[in-house]
Amino acid sequence: MTSIRSDLASAQADAWDAIGAPGTWWSGAERVAIAAETRHATGCRLCAARKAALSPSMVAGDHDSLGVLPASAIEAIHRIRTDPGRLGHAWYRGLIEAGLGEERYVELVSVIAVTVAIDTFRRAAGLAPWPLPHAQAGEPSRRRPAGAKPGVAWMATLLPDDCSAEDPDLYQADPGPRRRGGGYVHHALSLVPRSMMHWWDMFEVMYLPSAAMRDFGREYRAVSHAQIELLASRVAALNQCVY
Amino acid sequence: MLIAFADRALGDDATALAAARDSVAARLGPAAMIDAAAVIAGFDGITRIADATGIPLEPPKAEAVADLRATLGLDRFLDAKS
Repeated sequence: MTSIRSDLASAQADAWDAIGAPGTWWSGAERVAIAAETRHATGCRLCAARKAALSPSMVAGDHDSLGVLPASAIEAIHRIRTDPGRLGHAWYRGLIEAGLGEERYVELVSVIAVTVAIDTFRRAAGLAPWPLPHAQAGEPSRRRPAGAKPGVAWMATLLPDDCSAEDPDLYQADPGPRRRGGGYVHHALSLVPRSMMHWWDMFEVMYLPSAAMRDFGREYRAVSHAQIELLASRVAALNQCVY
Repeated sequence: MLIAFADRALGDDATALAAARDSVAARLGPAAMIDAAAVIAGFDGITRIADATGIPLEPPKAEAVADLRATLGLDRFLDAKS
């Protein structure tokens, strides 16, 4: 039986369960539906045709979807899951104009990312995929950070200097468990603070916490810093991520 | 070996993935295989966050790697976005 270090198993289990909890802009049932659609997208014939095309916009049609979520959410989930390297600002604007909403989009991205990361890990490690999490009752909180503003990403973000006492500990509050700094990738999901924490609290256990990234005097994992960065670079290339 | 593991983990061939996984576990140990799988999977997620939010490279990083990006033609990939 494959042994998984306890912090990794715990972080992934917490992140998986959190998909089923009410979010900031989606209900628990809707978040589970996003995870289900993320899995379903890998078999979509439209996505396969678009992936093979010179440009995805050359291929029209309807997604093979589970039919639970709005069309704009289905389009977002399928493209992010199957062809993330060719997403553009015009595509994003189209989703927002279709009524998805930038806060709902950000939270959707976080659920997709958690689902993909856990599914890919289980498959890579030779483990069976987890069943979808249980959807919990309750209403989304629908709180947008007052300090969020446009500038860094396609959507508004909450930068460290714009956080208030009303916001959770997202960055480098001291004392605080999180030591996340100024990288734009840290800011990407900050319009929905709980989504940012949902992703990063799991990801840093799968990869490395910020403070460990450049601490080359010590190895924190069973693979070295160099091996970790080799793997990370390879996956970024495979996914055509140019960030 | 590690690159093959990443390639197979993101591919469709389960048999090839199993062989790559076994190779990493045999040569680096089971714990290294798990940690390698975790890194691969984490970056399969975070690359989607980066691409789906449109974040640019931070200016100091962009400046530091401008020559390398030009040599490799990486910025041409931006033209394929839609």
